[in-house]
Amino acid sequence: MMMEFTLWDIIRNLLFAMRWTLALSLVALGGGAIFTLVLLTLRLTCGARVNRAISLYVNLFQGTPILMQLFLVFFAFPLVGIEVSPWTAASVCLILYASAYLLDIWYSAVRSLPRGQWEACRVLGLSFPQTMRHVVMPQAIRLAAAPSVGFIVQLIKNTSLTSVIGFEEMTKVGMVLTNATFEPFKIYGLLALGYFLLCFPLSRLARRLEGSSR
Amino acid sequence: MNIMTICSLQKYYGDNHVLKGIDLNIRQGESVAIIGQSGSGKSTLLRCMNGLEDYQEGWIRFGNMLITSDEKKAREISRSIGMIFQQFNLFPHLTAAENVMLAPRLVLGLPEKECRTLAEEMLEKVGLGERMDYYPSGLSGGQQQRVAIARALAMKPRMLLCDEITSALDPELVGEVLKVVEQLASEGLSLVLVTHEMAFARDVANRVVFMHKGKIHEEGPAKELFRHPQTAELEQFISRARAGL
Repeated sequence: MMMEFTLWDIIRNLLFAMRWTLALSLVALGGGAIFTLVLLTLRLTCGARVNRAISLYVNLFQGTPILMQLFLVFFAFPLVGIEVSPWTAASVCLILYASAYLLDIWYSAVRSLPRGQWEACRVLGLSFPQTMRHVVMPQAIRLAAAPSVGFIVQLIKNTSLTSVIGFEEMTKVGMVLTNATFEPFKIYGLLALGYFLLCFPLSRLARRLEGSSR
Repeated sequence: MNIMTICSLQKYYGDNHVLKGIDLNIRQGESVAIIGQSGSGKSTLLRCMNGLEDYQEGWIRFGNMLITSDEKKAREISRSIGMIFQQFNLFPHLTAAENVMLAPRLVLGLPEKECRTLAEEMLEKVGLGERMDYYPSGLSGGQQQRVAIARALAMKPRMLLCDEITSALDPELVGEVLKVVEQLASEGLSLVLVTHEMAFARDVANRVVFMHKGKIHEEGPAKELFRHPQTAELEQFISRARAGL
């Protein structure tokens, strides 16, 4: 039996699904930011072996398609006897993916501070956490803001790939709707518009931040 | 009384033998200028004195404290030995007052209000009481360096290390910084200055140490050393510096 979908039905369904796109983006960003801070601290304080391990992870996640990463994470858990929902697999995967890029951005921002800033902190007796919190981070955040926001745009767009493991975000719902209505042009057009509305303001913000950090 | 004792100090950067057995005492309240060509090891020696650089042999003592580059010692050292850098190294995201207040608040644990009073007092001392709430970018090089001095003084150090503190300044701004340092010397703060300013070394320092190829080549009371250099190397160095002036 074929159901009739009005334009409003389609938009309403897509908007519902957009919540999941947003939720996944926020989880990936929040989790990714926390994980990145942990890795950043390790990178700045630990020896060569830890650094090699971190750079192996970064290279792995930057050097493979996110689609493969999603499949691998989704199918790897069952191999060790853990069933995971598409939501969990997508979250874990995107957190790891986001950290692999954010770490690069944040680490280079921290490294681009003159060495004298660290030396001044040291001769004043500031501890490592104090140096990070009061001197390094406030300056690094300004440098990293624009590229970080730019990366968030990529992250939001890449959440669409989680449709392949069955996570019901905007793209997945769009595909289902296409199968039901046979109106791919209209639906993918609306879908594109949805992503654009999420991403465009962020792109503008990134450009503004870039302007102000100069 | 010696405030710092350096004994047979040896330092290598890889194969490069930078300090070849330095023996030096700094007396309480004395100001010592270290001069020498670039690459003579003078800045390295200064940076060993507060543990910014490590060394391989010998030892440095400040009172009962052995100075090493161990990070755990940095806090203890910071309570006694201050340092000012060639590039000022102010924190650009903090105002002059906040720059001065940061370490007393975080390291000495002084309450906010007391820190503010301390910052006022220190900035007043370097002649920048009116510039408390300026960011470093709004200050001239000479003013920035004076803020850096105030920041170091706020930790109430017993000794102050100055690493080429006028080298990054326009010539017309050198005077205001040197005046502050001169005042500190006259107040009896122990100073060690690595400097290119020969006139300053002569006028402010009690003692001048001439370093050459990683060793102390000659040392003595400032005026005498400049008037009667004992070695050919120092004589050459002085005449070159004069020619450059």
